[in-house]
Amino acid sequence: MGPAVSDQRPHLESFLMRESLLDRAVERSTETPVFRMLPDSYVIKVGGRSIFDRGREVVFPVVAELSAALDDGRKLILGTGGGARTRHVFSIGIDLGLPTGVLAQLAAADALGTAHMLGTLLAPKGVVAIPPEIFGHLLPLFLHAVPGVIYNGLPPYSIWEHPPRVGRIPPHRTDAGCFLLAECFGSKELILLKDVNGLYDDDPRQNPDAVFIPEIGVAELRRRKLRSLPFDPVILDLLEHARLLKQFRIVNALQPGNLRAAFAGEKVGTIVHAD
Amino acid sequence: MSEALLTDLGARLVTGSLSDEELLADTGTSRPVQILPDANVVKIGGQSLIDRGRAAVFPVIEELVANLPDHKLIIGCGAGTRARHAYSIGLDLGLPTGVLSVLGTFVSSQNARMIHYLVARHGIPFIEPAQFAQLPLYLEERRGVVFFGMPPYTFWQRNPETGMGRIPPHRTDTGVYLIAEVFSSRSMIFIKDERGLYTADPKKDRSATFIPEITVSELKALDLQDVVVERAVLDLMETAEHGRRIQVINGLEPGTITKALNGEQVGTVITSD
Repeated sequence: MGPAVSDQRPHLESFLMRESLLDRAVERSTETPVFRMLPDSYVIKVGGRSIFDRGREVVFPVVAELSAALDDGRKLILGTGGGARTRHVFSIGIDLGLPTGVLAQLAAADALGTAHMLGTLLAPKGVVAIPPEIFGHLLPLFLHAVPGVIYNGLPPYSIWEHPPRVGRIPPHRTDAGCFLLAECFGSKELILLKDVNGLYDDDPRQNPDAVFIPEIGVAELRRRKLRSLPFDPVILDLLEHARLLKQFRIVNALQPGNLRAAFAGEKVGTIVHAD
Repeated sequence: MSEALLTDLGARLVTGSLSDEELLADTGTSRPVQILPDANVVKIGGQSLIDRGRAAVFPVIEELVANLPDHKLIIGCGAGTRARHAYSIGLDLGLPTGVLSVLGTFVSSQNARMIHYLVARHGIPFIEPAQFAQLPLYLEERRGVVFFGMPPYTFWQRNPETGMGRIPPHRTDTGVYLIAEVFSSRSMIFIKDERGLYTADPKKDRSATFIPEITVSELKALDLQDVVVERAVLDLMETAEHGRRIQVINGLEPGTITKALNGEQVGTVITSD
C-alpha cells in the first residue's frame, strides 16, 4: 500500500484515509462484529466496602467459594474495590479542592491494596494480584497459565478521568472498570459480589414491603429512578452501548452458596440486561 | 466512627451510597484548587499537521519554541493517518474498541517522539502517563513538555454509542483536553489545518461557513454531520470544572499560535454554557 495524495495531505491507504473520523457517516460505517478474546472467562468484582471491609467473617467464606469455583476449572478475573479507604481519601481530597482526575488517581492505591489482600488469601491457588501496568496486556497469558487473576478493578483513567455531571467523585470506579474489562475481553459473564440481594423497588432496610427485582432492563431501571443503586451508575451507560456483554448480575456474597448457584445458572441475585 | 473523620461529608462518603445524587452534589461544593493555572495546553494535530511533514511541522515547532519565554507549554500530539490504517485493519479483523485504543496510543506515541526530538535541543522532555508527576518540574525548569495525546484507557476505552461504529470515541483531542481540565490550565489550544470550526468539512464542502465563536449547546443544536474536535470533548466541557473554553486554530498560518497564546480571538473559540 502506498501513499495517496488528493487533498494536499499524504495518506496511508485505508478505508479511513482522507476521512474525518468525526463524520457521523464514517463512524457508522465502522460497526463491525467483535472478536471475543476470552469467552470462557468470568469477571467478578469483589466489593470493597460490602465485602472486604467486613473482615474475616465475611471474606473467608467468599474466598472459599472463589476457591471452589477455581477448582471447578472456572477462569476467574477478580477485580477489587477500595471500600472505606477510597471514600476517606475522596473526602480529604475534596476538602483540599483537588479535581476529579486526581481523586481517580488516588483511588487506584486503595483498590490495589484490596487486590493484594485477596491475592494473599488465594495464593495457595496461584492466584495473585497483578500490577496494573502489565495486567491488560498480559491477561490472556496469565489466564492460560493460572486458574485466575486479581487486579484493582479500576479502569486506568487516573488524571484522565471524566469530570462528572454532579459533584467531583470519579464516575468510572471499580464496577465500571470490571464492566469495561469484561466487554473488551468478551468474558462470559460479569458478576458484582455485594452485600445486598440485588435490586428492590425501594430501600428494603427502610421499607419491609419493598419488592425484589430478579431481572430488569436498562430503560426500565432508569424509568424507576431508584434513589441509590448498589453499583456504579455509569455502567448502565456502558451496558446500553455494549457490543458483547449484554447483562451483568448482582449477587449477595453474604449468603453462602450464592456464587456457586450463579455459576450453575440458577436464578440468584438481580440480572440487569441491555434492552 | 464519624467523629474520627475530618468532615461531615467524609462520614457520609464512608457510610453512604455514591449513587445518591444529594451526596454527590455535596462533593462539588468545596473550592477547587488550580494545579497549574499558568500553563498552556496545546495539541499538534496528527493527520492535520504531523502527517504533512517538515513543511507544516517545522514552522509550528519554531513558533511554539519562540513562545516559550512567555508561555509554559504542555504539548500533546495527535495520531493521524497511521491510526486510520491500524483502525481500518483492526475493524476488519473485529478487534474490540479497547484494542483499537491501544493501537491508537502507539501511533500518537510515535508522533510525540518525533516532535520531542525536534524540540530536544531546548531541553524539553517527552513524558509518558506514568511521568506526569514530573511535569511541574519540567515546566518550571524548561517551560515545556511533550506527551502523547491518547488517554491511557487502553482496554478500558468506552464503546461509541450503539450503531455509531467502533472507533475509540476518546482519542487524542479528548486526552489532551482532559489534561487541561485536571491541571486547570490557562488555555486549551488545538492546532489543526483549518481556520477553525465550519458548518461542514471545508475540505469537501466549498459552501461550508466559518464559525468564529460558539457555545457547546449552540454547537450541539446545529447537529453537524462533522465537527472539528472530538464530540467527547464537547460532552466533557458541559460538566468540566475548569476547562470551559477551547480554541481551534490553523497551524499552517504563521503567527496564529502566538496570537492564540496571547489570548487573541483567532480561529474558533468554543465555550461551555
